[in-house]
Amino acid sequence: MAARADVVLVGIGAVGGILASELTAAGLKVVGLERGESPPYSDYALKDAVHAIVRHALHDSARHEPIARRDKEGENTRRRPVSSPTNQVGGALNRWTGQSNRFAPGDFKVFTQEIASGLAERAGASLEGYNVADWPIGYDDLEPYYTKYEYEMGITGADGENPFAGPRSKRFPMPPLRDTAKFVLFRDACRNLGYHPYRTPNGILSQRYKPPMPYAQGIPERPGCVYCGHCNNYGCHVHAKASTLYTHVPAALDSGNLDLRTRCKVFRINTSPDGKVTGVSYFDPAGTVQEQRASVVILGGYLYENVRLLLLSRSEASVHASGLGNTHGLVGQHIMAHEDVRVSGIFDDQIINGFIGPGSVGGRIDDFNSNNFDHTKLGFIRGATIGTSGSGTPIERYNIVPRGMPRWGADYKKYLTRYYTRSFDLNMQPETLPHKDNYVDLHPTECDAWGIPLPRVTFSLHENEQRMHRFLAGEGEKIMQATGAAKVWSAFSKRGSRWAGGTRMGTDPSNSVVNDKCQVHGIDNLFVMGASVFPTMAGYPPTATVAALTYRAADFIRSQNALFH
Amino acid sequence: MPDVCKAPAAADALLEEERFQALSSGEAKIVEAAASRIFPTTDTPGAAEAGVVHYIDRTLKEIYPKQIASYREGCAALERNAKETFGRQFTELAPDQQDKILSAFEKGTASGLADASEFFALLRKHTMEGMFCEPMYGGNRGLVGWRLVGFPGQQFGYEDPYINRVVDLEPIAHEMPFSQQEALDGRKS
Repeated sequence: MAARADVVLVGIGAVGGILASELTAAGLKVVGLERGESPPYSDYALKDAVHAIVRHALHDSARHEPIARRDKEGENTRRRPVSSPTNQVGGALNRWTGQSNRFAPGDFKVFTQEIASGLAERAGASLEGYNVADWPIGYDDLEPYYTKYEYEMGITGADGENPFAGPRSKRFPMPPLRDTAKFVLFRDACRNLGYHPYRTPNGILSQRYKPPMPYAQGIPERPGCVYCGHCNNYGCHVHAKASTLYTHVPAALDSGNLDLRTRCKVFRINTSPDGKVTGVSYFDPAGTVQEQRASVVILGGYLYENVRLLLLSRSEASVHASGLGNTHGLVGQHIMAHEDVRVSGIFDDQIINGFIGPGSVGGRIDDFNSNNFDHTKLGFIRGATIGTSGSGTPIERYNIVPRGMPRWGADYKKYLTRYYTRSFDLNMQPETLPHKDNYVDLHPTECDAWGIPLPRVTFSLHENEQRMHRFLAGEGEKIMQATGAAKVWSAFSKRGSRWAGGTRMGTDPSNSVVNDKCQVHGIDNLFVMGASVFPTMAGYPPTATVAALTYRAADFIRSQNALFH
Repeated sequence: MPDVCKAPAAADALLEEERFQALSSGEAKIVEAAASRIFPTTDTPGAAEAGVVHYIDRTLKEIYPKQIASYREGCAALERNAKETFGRQFTELAPDQQDKILSAFEKGTASGLADASEFFALLRKHTMEGMFCEPMYGGNRGLVGWRLVGFPGQQFGYEDPYINRVVDLEPIAHEMPFSQQEALDGRKS
């Protein structure tokens, strides 16, 4: 059995990468267990749609570790490979789009500001079955950590452009990426309609960058974006797009305090009879069971895996009969996901060339996000950012076709030939509120390649989301019309993305799994991090907030000498 | 046909000179005929010039062997429906007759194949991938698919944002041969 580590990290993605850097810098001995590999440059830097998009289902994680998915309790599940967890060093950051909004102050207080206040009632929202809770912390608690994330990763943005964003203690570390055709059209249309367009904060460098002091000096210098356009679902061939694979992990390895073990799949968190966590058990690359003892265990996986591990680690003999942190049956509850609304437009007098530049480069508005607009009688609360998207090689765009247009044959070919370069989309990330019928648990019969029960994901949208999506599609279509598009149409995604929840954060152990430091209630040396701790998910991507929470928790852990006696 | 859209060689010649590994030569002819209706040759190249059938054959052989059976049944059903409806082989039908058969597949109303619409969706998906893939996968020959829609391929980057301008760059394809690609993809056990 290996020597006891100070900390064992389960998963080396966004969370694990940042923690590895933060904790090793403090002199802690860290073991990093990652179930995937450290991907070679020749793999992730390929600008090849068949490899990255069409066949991503071939990647180890997706094939070996599917989820079991159903919409409702009682339905049969379908095994579905999922690429979002991206089981490799760097995790989903290797293939994210880069959109890097902070949450706004109101996003942390949905219950108080929109339900208890009576706003939901005035809106006529139907919130039956929902279980909305405030975050135990607010924007001000996270602000210094958002800043740290932005300076270590190198986030681009335009100071002061978004009137709905929270106050900033420091400017963005560098200016926004350059303007694109779709941004110019979107910006002008939004201004004409009286909205407030801003250039999207982006985890993609606009110029050569190395974090200044006092930020981690082990993070290597990286070049600016070359606008090749292969971002979403691709790795970055110049490393302009932030990933811990080439930011924080090298810094941690340089410290000499990180023992990084890839292709090691953790299947159980071990506990002593008194309920304290003692370490983890895992399969090594040869499939042999190994144990790693540690003073502190931190789960930094995708929410499916965080939940699954907590549930798998139940032990009849201890206080954890129903799983770790699950005294009140809350592990796996209240999961959320964006199901994006897309509005597309085609142009006869504009050439957009949407394949140039990152998909996330462009602009957004928050005029229809959060509580930034009057919801009276709209029938729902909350909203979404609306912004430009529509990058993509032809393989990614051949299915974006107006309603009524045939999807094959000579007319279809004529359409695609003319409009591939003359189209773009608006995408929206509509907030989904936590609902009692949306949860992850262990599949009773189906297992993965290691014989471990699959995470069973039960999820569908309910009344608040359905009404919101219809409203947003209408507003999006008005904006797209105002850009001068010749034809405008909207589409609703049936596929959840940017999943959150399952190990909710809160002050009350009877209504949450972890506290505001991501520490499991009642188990001082077990932490769970990532979007799984979100009580509500906001109408923004989770990455910046996941990172800020991680930095904040790392500060706390480093201050707790008692954990490392 | 504009110069930039010229195919590298006539489609028939390609069919003749290359052997198929997953499809029989009869099936390959049916698949090519069907793909040519999904993305037809008009005043510009289509599925035939792009070599879509070769993309499909390679994909089936090397990546998705389980789908070979779907193609086998699908091709047989296309043939059967052609004979039942028009009394001739699918490849011998007039284009509008082929379209009628394919429409029936798309709608799931074709006779003798329970998941006809699923087969049509698979065939359409593969056809479009074969139009726009890296040529090393067997399709998009001479980069005809990319030239057609105005996609310049795997540029290192773009110095210019090309706002409201045609991108006048010669398309660039990936140079890695398929075997290496396969090795990368090939963590399939």
